[in-house]
Amino acid sequence: MRVPAVTAVAIGAAVWLAAGAARADGELAMRGVYYKEKATRVVQPMLDARFDVGDAGQVDAHLLVDAITSASVASGSSGIAFSERRYEAGGGYLDRRGRWGYGASGRLSREPDYTSLFGGLRGDVALADDNFLLGVALGAGHDSISNAGAAMMMGTPLSGTMTTLLASVSASQIVSPRLVVGLTYDVSRLDGFQENPYRSVITAEGLVMERHPQTRRRQAWAASARWFVGRTATTVIASHRVYVDDWGIVAHTPELRVVQEAGDAADVAIRYRYHHQSAADFYLPSYPSADPSDFPYLTDDVKLSAFTSHTIGFKVGVFGRAFGLDGALGDARGEVEFEYVDQNNRFGNAGIANAALILPIR
Amino acid sequence: MPAVSRLRARLVKALCVCSIAAATSACARVRPYQRQDLARRAMVEDRGAGDRRFHQHQTGAREGADGGTGEPGGGCGCN
Repeated sequence: MRVPAVTAVAIGAAVWLAAGAARADGELAMRGVYYKEKATRVVQPMLDARFDVGDAGQVDAHLLVDAITSASVASGSSGIAFSERRYEAGGGYLDRRGRWGYGASGRLSREPDYTSLFGGLRGDVALADDNFLLGVALGAGHDSISNAGAAMMMGTPLSGTMTTLLASVSASQIVSPRLVVGLTYDVSRLDGFQENPYRSVITAEGLVMERHPQTRRRQAWAASARWFVGRTATTVIASHRVYVDDWGIVAHTPELRVVQEAGDAADVAIRYRYHHQSAADFYLPSYPSADPSDFPYLTDDVKLSAFTSHTIGFKVGVFGRAFGLDGALGDARGEVEFEYVDQNNRFGNAGIANAALILPIR
Repeated sequence: MPAVSRLRARLVKALCVCSIAAATSACARVRPYQRQDLARRAMVEDRGAGDRRFHQHQTGAREGADGGTGEPGGGCGCN
């Protein structure tokens, strides 16, 4: 972790100095996440910077490292233990002039056996005296996948590529001085290699590498509402997401977050998220035959099985002014969050700890 | 018509109806000077960019149901 930490600090310092030199407003967030489940542990330090440019522009950038240790390269099934790092960098620009907003963003993620590049464009327009916002986003990605992370142990080298196309439409409406509602519709098409190159499936003929369809069309609808209760200074955020794809998965994910202000220097939040999904049409725990004419597709992917998960979380956020600091340090914010995921699948339950320091740039 | 197609058609219809209703609704227009509560931190965005990105990545790696956020999921070696 030594080199990424040094790199992150160097980039953070550069962003801070550059923004300061340009007299730009913005913020720099340093965050670390620890994720632990039965067979997998992830440590993810990340750095996010956002600052204003010119009269109407805003630039954001991020850098992160995933340090992943798992009992299996196939993420959950019995197999070969592995440890690897994933590096991701991304950035975007958003410009808002009058009622119109438009922007572009890009992201590169790289690890020994998976490289992903994604770029997107977005635009929005504010209508009805800025009470209604309609947005559109388009994106395209290219992923390269291989079993290079454990090719020596796997024997046969495997590799493939996948392209992703995404379109999204969103709308939000201010309903009252304390209530905003929103809707989002996403559709994406994945085309190419979608198997895990390490994962094999139990069949009557023995272990066989999994076979997935070449294409997948995914659709998701999400509705949300944010309501501020003035008497208690409480914000209630409720959402429900419905997902359908042509592999046969249907999922429902309602979520509720409640943020309670404690004066102007601190807040606490609780979160509950429920997720239930059906299995992909071709998912079986084991297959009576590996013959492609009987079973063209085979998978041992837990993500394609039917399961239910419950997530509960608790977060505390405190500004520097709570400790008597003023100026930029008074507006600096610290956050600590703990979450527990209860899921009835082979991944098992998970715990997540998340801490951040967010510094304003002036 | 398969159940999934029927559900999809209903949801598309619902989305269209809600969007049109929202766009043309008779909601009283909220003026800029009435928006101090809408500008509160939790009303604008209660989660930071890194927090959102991590959770999207985590659910992308552990659930088969990405989407609904207007952002790409996956791209993470989580095939």
